[in-house]
Amino acid sequence: MATIKFSDVSRVFKRDGKDFLILDNINLTVQDKEFVVIVGPSGCGKTTCMRMAAGLEFPSTGSVKVNDVLVSGPGPDRAVVFQQFALFPWKTVYDNIDFGLRGQGIAKEERESQIAHYIALMNLKGYESAYPHQLSGGMQQRVAIARAYALNPQVLLMDEPFGALDAQTRVVMQEELVKVARKNPRTVLFITHAVEEAVYLADRVVVMTSRPGKIKEILDVKSVREAEKWDQHSKIEDVMDQESFVHLRTHIWKSLREEHAGSDH
Amino acid sequence: MGLAQRKNYRRGVVGFATILLLLVFWYLATTLTGLINPSRFPRPDEVLSAFTFIQTEGYGNGKLHQHVLHSLKLVAMGFAVAVSFGVPLGLLMGYSRRAEALINPAFLLLRPIPPLAWIPLAIVWLGLEDGSKILVIFVAAFVPSVINSYTGVRNIDTPVMEAASMLGIKGWRMVAEVLVPGAMPMIFTGLRLSLQASWTTLVAAELIGALYGLGSILNQAAQDIFPAMILLAMVFVGICGASSTWVLGALENHAMPWRKGRVAT
Amino acid sequence: MKKELNPQHFWSLTITGTVGFFAFWYLARGLQFAPPQFLPMPHEVLFKLFELMDKPFAGATLPEHMVASLKRFGMGFGLAALVGVPLGLSMGWFRLLDDVITPIFDSVRFIAPVAWVPFAALWFGTGIGGPTLIIFAGAFPPCLINAYRGARNVEVRFLEAASMLGVGSFKTITEVLFPAAVPSIIAGLRIGAGLGWLSLVGAELIVASSGMGNLILRAQSALATDTVMVGMIAIGAIGVVIDILIRRLEKILLRHRNA
Repeated sequence: MATIKFSDVSRVFKRDGKDFLILDNINLTVQDKEFVVIVGPSGCGKTTCMRMAAGLEFPSTGSVKVNDVLVSGPGPDRAVVFQQFALFPWKTVYDNIDFGLRGQGIAKEERESQIAHYIALMNLKGYESAYPHQLSGGMQQRVAIARAYALNPQVLLMDEPFGALDAQTRVVMQEELVKVARKNPRTVLFITHAVEEAVYLADRVVVMTSRPGKIKEILDVKSVREAEKWDQHSKIEDVMDQESFVHLRTHIWKSLREEHAGSDH
Repeated sequence: MGLAQRKNYRRGVVGFATILLLLVFWYLATTLTGLINPSRFPRPDEVLSAFTFIQTEGYGNGKLHQHVLHSLKLVAMGFAVAVSFGVPLGLLMGYSRRAEALINPAFLLLRPIPPLAWIPLAIVWLGLEDGSKILVIFVAAFVPSVINSYTGVRNIDTPVMEAASMLGIKGWRMVAEVLVPGAMPMIFTGLRLSLQASWTTLVAAELIGALYGLGSILNQAAQDIFPAMILLAMVFVGICGASSTWVLGALENHAMPWRKGRVAT
Repeated sequence: MKKELNPQHFWSLTITGTVGFFAFWYLARGLQFAPPQFLPMPHEVLFKLFELMDKPFAGATLPEHMVASLKRFGMGFGLAALVGVPLGLSMGWFRLLDDVITPIFDSVRFIAPVAWVPFAALWFGTGIGGPTLIIFAGAFPPCLINAYRGARNVEVRFLEAASMLGVGSFKTITEVLFPAAVPSIIAGLRIGAGLGWLSLVGAELIVASSGMGNLILRAQSALATDTVMVGMIAIGAIGVVIDILIRRLEKILLRHRNA
């Protein structure tokens, strides 16, 4: 059972002697094996939510619990995929994936087969000895995702992982992620500002207001997806053509528009 | 020949021609025309005979190679100790804010004192023997090592450091597999600066008082008013400085196979 | 990486570190790491500092020694800046000049400034001339290199605009290259000042009859360790002040640019 529970979470940021309220009273539970996506305008604190679940930041009030255990710091049970990839430039693709695994006391053969499995899964075969600087952005992010998956984490936290990629690569990565996620469901908290990406990937979409961030609404995408059988379409553009998809997407767009209009962007 | 190649070629030719012209001017000015007083600046043939002299008969307590080896030995010892303490200290101060706050005061108090200013104190404590030289070389080499290792750790991308803690990397693994490789470019800069400082300081210390070493040759030649020997010693000081820098540069290239522009093996 | 320290934590650690340093010093004296006359206690050094302010040692009081050193530094550094910066800028503009000077510079550069001492003394004596040459040798390379790099890194479009407007070489150097290269030049001056001050100490240790370097050397001969330490601290302090002054200058000049 791997759940993420935000209880009355607020986050205040101090700068130049002034207090900035970034998050205001967030209450959210990500259920076991649920794929939750948070969308919101820039600066709404959605990344901060993820970082608190990761243990890289801490709430000013309230608590963040993973599996009912208070988050006190980062760890391999809550694997993070960063927007900037965050691969170790001095390690090969293989070593990057292996690095976190080595500390877990797994036997060597077992580790090797695990890594091979994820390398194949993320289409990285043949690149095991390459260094990150030799890879494209998309390839690097694949390594980062493989690294996170290989940890067999309770919870997967993804911070705008496709944000630094070009549009075409982005689409390919989304398709791949969906395939992996449906085959091997995990508890995922995914952050993005791209609405279509959110609707495509999520079981539930959480829409946030602009700063100070509150939860504006939560939409259940999974029931729509299953009812309309989106998964029978393998291509993303076919899914995005579905009326039900467009309806959800437009709804969220409008919701976010209100936030942009209201804020001082 | 492409434009760039032509430019480099021209550069090389002009450079070579300039040096050649200077040498010719040197010969003419000292030998044929007497433009430069030989008691102020030696003639080319004087320098050559001084070179043979010091090789065969020795000068100032030894032959040339004995002097150079002696200097080399002292630099090696002082440098090795300084770097063995300085690099880990710098890494520690870069990684741990606590360590930085605690150690910084002592460092800031001692750092402004130029290494050469330690020479009299070193002589008071350890006399004119090798010990005082090694102490001064240590002081000279220590500071750049610490500062550059510190900067090297600070320059590691924050997401990369966060990824390391997310993966559960701690202790020795953090030092050996994250901090050292991450800070490596700056560590090498520090090593280079430390080595240059070591040579400069040693020559000065030997000038003040020593039995062996290039500095002692300079000192003796100054007292004997032997310009040819002075020039010879200066040239060798330059050669030693240049070659040690070159050796470090070669080491640096080997130590970091993951850098851009290098082919992974 | 560890979290940021909160201010109280930071200051308590800093104070602990400072106190620890002096405590270690007293301890070293107490445990006799060196014989007592070779390791004065911190407060003894402080008293000596006040004493030397008006009681002469090695022929002059501390301020007088400082002035002697600063005079030499001023000359050597001033010369290095006045020659190095224009030359560096010109080398950045005139390729031929660059091709001629760079090989000479690269050959001479690796000779430690201190190695120039015998010739400096031989040619210019030990008063102000000799040490000036050595300070020059130390301060010159950074001034030259940074001015050169600053000029080379000027954006091509500025140079193209200047040539389109028919601006001659001298004006281009003074009115286009120089302003654009100011940040690099100032950085070079700061590094040059540091190296120049370092070289001054070396020069005065060997060939001067006055100045800070000479002071600590004479103190060493007299085994007056407390005076040696006062000298070391004063040398360090002046170095810091020079650096701060140039940084101030840097801030003023760069603020002017950004406005």
